[in-house]
Amino acid sequence: MAITITLDGVEVSGNPGMTILDLARESGIYIPTLCHDPHLIPYGACRVCLVENEQNGALLASCVAPIAPGMIINTRSEKVLESRRVIIKLMLASHPDNCMVCDKGNRCQLRQVATELGIGWVDFHRIPHPAEIQDLNPFIERDLSKCILCAKCIRACEELVVEGAIDYLDRGFPSKPATVGDTPLELSECTFCGTCVNLCPTGALQEKVKPHHGSTTKVVSTVCGFCGCGCNIDLEVSGNLVVRARPNEGDTPNGATLCVRGSYGFDYINSPQRLTQPLVKIDGEFQPASWEEALSAVAGKLGEIKSANGPDSLAVFGSSKCTNEEDYLLQKFAREVLGTPNIDNGGSVYNSASRNGLGGSLGFAASTNPIGDIEQSEVILLVGDDPEVSAPQIGYAIKRAVRHKGARLVVINSRDTGLASFAHQYLVPKVGTETSLINGIMKAIVDHGIWRKSFVAEKVSGFDEFSESLSDYSSEQVEQITGVASQELHHVARLFAQANSAVVVYGSGITRQSNGEQTVAALANLSLLTGNVGKTGAGIFAIQEENNGLGAADMGCLPDLLPGYQPVANGAGLTLSEMMEQAEAGKIKGMYIMGENPVAGISDSGKILGSLDFLVVQDLFLTDTARLANVVLPAAGFAEKDGTFTNFERRVQRVRKAVDPPGESLPDWQIILKLAEAMGNPMQYSSPQEIMDEIAARVPLYHGINYDDIVPGGIFWPRTNGYRLGPSRLYEGGFPQGFGRFVVTGSQLSEDKAEPEIIVPKELYQFGSGVRSSMSYRLNAMIVEPSGTEGTDNRY
Amino acid sequence: MSKEIKVPEIDFDRLDEIISRYKGQKWSLIPLLQEVQRELGYVPSQTIKPIADGVGMFPSQVQGVVSFYTGLHTTPRGRNVVKVCRGTACHVRGGKTILKLVRQRLDLEEGETSPDLGYTLETVACIGVCALAPNIVVNNTTYGQVNPKKVTQLFNDRGAGG
Repeated sequence: MAITITLDGVEVSGNPGMTILDLARESGIYIPTLCHDPHLIPYGACRVCLVENEQNGALLASCVAPIAPGMIINTRSEKVLESRRVIIKLMLASHPDNCMVCDKGNRCQLRQVATELGIGWVDFHRIPHPAEIQDLNPFIERDLSKCILCAKCIRACEELVVEGAIDYLDRGFPSKPATVGDTPLELSECTFCGTCVNLCPTGALQEKVKPHHGSTTKVVSTVCGFCGCGCNIDLEVSGNLVVRARPNEGDTPNGATLCVRGSYGFDYINSPQRLTQPLVKIDGEFQPASWEEALSAVAGKLGEIKSANGPDSLAVFGSSKCTNEEDYLLQKFAREVLGTPNIDNGGSVYNSASRNGLGGSLGFAASTNPIGDIEQSEVILLVGDDPEVSAPQIGYAIKRAVRHKGARLVVINSRDTGLASFAHQYLVPKVGTETSLINGIMKAIVDHGIWRKSFVAEKVSGFDEFSESLSDYSSEQVEQITGVASQELHHVARLFAQANSAVVVYGSGITRQSNGEQTVAALANLSLLTGNVGKTGAGIFAIQEENNGLGAADMGCLPDLLPGYQPVANGAGLTLSEMMEQAEAGKIKGMYIMGENPVAGISDSGKILGSLDFLVVQDLFLTDTARLANVVLPAAGFAEKDGTFTNFERRVQRVRKAVDPPGESLPDWQIILKLAEAMGNPMQYSSPQEIMDEIAARVPLYHGINYDDIVPGGIFWPRTNGYRLGPSRLYEGGFPQGFGRFVVTGSQLSEDKAEPEIIVPKELYQFGSGVRSSMSYRLNAMIVEPSGTEGTDNRY
Repeated sequence: MSKEIKVPEIDFDRLDEIISRYKGQKWSLIPLLQEVQRELGYVPSQTIKPIADGVGMFPSQVQGVVSFYTGLHTTPRGRNVVKVCRGTACHVRGGKTILKLVRQRLDLEEGETSPDLGYTLETVACIGVCALAPNIVVNNTTYGQVNPKKVTQLFNDRGAGG
């Protein structure tokens, strides 16, 4: 039932529970605020938003005052304006006089409000806040003499990223936001996500390393190039320099947050180690060469190997970090220009388990719900991943769900994770036995009779055979195999099955194992069994490690699948590990690697790649893999080209060029086109948009994706009728023909041998093999130990 | 600026026992902090995290509550807490001099605790016994009409300037 009030003489209506500020904004009436943010719970601290209740003359804080029927509010009376002036003057009286040299400049909201009110001269007695904090971390600089005690930093840390590193210390004039023990940030729980810096209305919190003073000239909306969350970032640019990265707060996967990599890790763009010229190896030494020289060397040599040994002697390795357009072009180049079926990409090792594990049972090989659904869930099952490091947005969502929404978290992981402290239950099965554990949980659910009978009966096939196959997974047997107590197993089974909505989140801890596909299929079975697919707050999240892991697979940068997961017509090509085997055996003689550093991840690959007849590597830096190449081609990074990335939520989002690539380096798509031309088989595209237009026409999954329609937050595939921006949630109307089925994951217990797989924990300040993160001055300053496997050092 | 104090060992088992009785109850943070202070004499910084984990809050939030109340102390206190009044009547009747003598006698500045945890010195705004000004409170006993001789008698276990 709507409530009507009079706002500045005009009758406006709103819903019960709305505040005066919400209604004013909706009605186009401007009320200044400093401590308010739409992402945070209203706080009422700064009092700048005071409005007058004309019925009794009282001043109400509009950000927290709810509308009531018959209210008569004036947002601009003399009483209101005078109170605003006094409040701002009091803030300025405690504020340092250095606006001229403060880097917040025109972005300072205190300054903006003061300007609006016409406050130039502050005639109040000055009582400055002290500013004694010295932080050594390279990310955040705190000058609390400028703090206006709006508490946005504290609220962001507690409400949005649920870290709670800071809160108010002391009261009165000495009051300030501080860490436990008032230590520097680097000695606290702070993960330097930068959310507090983004929300601070004054210059109290700013980025530490400021390569630039003054205003930036343009803002470019793009997508982060690190993990699979696909956070939308606004890059503020001055000239050819990216000055800062802020979250794009539209309907995006990240809202008002980022993580330390997204906020501060982009400075590798300006590293002096960036490749700026093609390099050709002559007598064991790299010599700079022109594009023409380098390309003709590559075309010549690849052509030679092809005619002498057949196209099957060539292999191409593409990148889960390059754009969709580039991966599409690369597989096309491999298949049509080189004529080889041997194409793979760096994300396969993380996501091939999901392709059949999820795709085989549900229909699509990707996450089923948007990240926001996690906070609508009652129970969260987190298996084999530490999202605080691998996918921070999922980490924040899970913590918010547990802390603020009362959700229960069950963690299944063979090693300790940060989120275990948020867990209602924490199970530690022996490494490699997760499939048995999940099967045991499902058997308990079936035995207790608490599976979603009507959902299964109507929508899912194969129940009888599946339920039969669980007979060997009694909780006593499972306890034997996994080491998890049968009582705990029953508790998890009941908790998960009896929730109204529950989600499963899994990641590379599962998919990297050789039985990963089995475990993923078991998790899909679990979701189907409990009816947790195709509704709000219920689904499966397949975390992708890298920004375009899903996209690279969508684009068919795979040996056995064409773009859109269509099977290859004649004979599958080799996977990366098969390429290494065949190279060692002398069958693969030439290789083209784009945006990947396999030497860091695969032991002995250095020796193998070094002994190829010809290796060409395309990258941003001279990686360990590039060092072994005959020709190195300098490529552009995410901030230097146009294109799209597809995050693990299936959002296809726009990557936009913000700055020019250094020296003579070029976007990967341009390099591939030049190479095709040099090989006498030109492909005609003049822009990434044209490439995407072809993809949209040829790849059913990407039908309807076009640049003009992509807004912040992207378009979810598959963009079918009825969903303007694609379906954020899959299977709401049921499963694709032939899917929605239980998959038997093997009743032979001996198949679940525990493997001696050592899963290396990753760090927030590193990413992948460290090619980019170790070149970020700021991220690298936090690393104590070198990253990656032995024998490699990506820092030089 | 405090002197080096020999901090007594914290009995963490006893602490855990106390916290367990308030587990998961955010609203009962203050009674919990008061009980910890009764037990240990103050609220040590090492107890902030166990207390926070026990009631389900962030350590920084618990620190915020502790720093709000002057009645919750984060440093160990002396066995004898000496409060010298600096209210109007005491001031007019020589309270400043009394404070100076007490500071010299105990060798402590305002807010400090002696290294052997014998004494803590504080000043307060008004005790409410203005007719007997100048006044000092030691623990729960109020001393009125204080003069230099009484200061010496009160703190006879401390030498002049020691």
